[in-house]
Amino acid sequence: MSKDNDPTEFERRAGALLRDSADGLDGATRSRLTQARHAALSRLGQDSHWGNRWLIVPGGAAAAVLVGLLLWNGNATVPGGNGSTLDDMELLADAEAYELSQEPDLEFIEWAAAMGDHPAGT
Amino acid sequence: MAESTAQALNSFLADVERRAFRMAQMALRHDEDALDAVQDAMLQLVRRYSGRPGTEWRPLFYRILENRIRDLQRRRTVRGRVLAWVPWHRDSDEDSDPVERAPDPAPGPVAELEGREIGAAMQLAIGHLPARQREAFLLRSLEGLDVAQTAAAMGCSEGSVKTHYSRALQRLREQLGEFWT
Repeated sequence: MSKDNDPTEFERRAGALLRDSADGLDGATRSRLTQARHAALSRLGQDSHWGNRWLIVPGGAAAAVLVGLLLWNGNATVPGGNGSTLDDMELLADAEAYELSQEPDLEFIEWAAAMGDHPAGT
Repeated sequence: MAESTAQALNSFLADVERRAFRMAQMALRHDEDALDAVQDAMLQLVRRYSGRPGTEWRPLFYRILENRIRDLQRRRTVRGRVLAWVPWHRDSDEDSDPVERAPDPAPGPVAELEGREIGAAMQLAIGHLPARQREAFLLRSLEGLDVAQTAAAMGCSEGSVKTHYSRALQRLREQLGEFWT
């Protein structure tokens, strides 16, 4: 594959090792993959645009609260991070509301907002 | 939706799901996140692209999967930053890099046959490749896509695929040479 689709010995061994690794997944993981596949296939034919729209408003509101919280606390640089708070807000704002509504991050954002209102120990 | 489409999608997803999981696992180094990424990719393919010709599913699926992997990596980074910023979380052990805390993927049965350290070392080395090199290497070596299919899955030119793949090979050879003799 490295040249004109003629794999070297290294590539052959690596490919075989990787494929066997995938084939040898444990039963629990295989079962969960099968469940995920069936869950996905159960959505076949459903409208892809409106199914979760009802989550956009609360998801967007939670994201707005978090951004507000970050702004309210000033523009301090995040400790341990290379970027600024603004960089993080940009990343968060960049995530579409639709995507946010599908992620566990929604819980995280709501949790962060709640903790902002009621910090631990107060 | 035709029953044949459902059957074809089921066959396609059953064929790719284990390899897709391994790809996500090596990139994310976290089993639950890897399962989430694969599940999301399956869902998006079924909901958005089931009407496309079956020949397009493979590159589409892997393109969706890689986007989900990147999205999870970004969110994990941001989450770590925000948690580090939250005062009552700074002293917690959880403010360390979640990637470093995540367990390394367990080697498969072949790794056990050929020496557990070979498989583990290779998966670890692949996990540390730059994202585009890892993507090109796995799509070609694990999934068996040709250059054109890999380019479609990665959303780049065939020349870029060759470059990423070649660099990945070089780096892996350098890192795994001692395990490969």
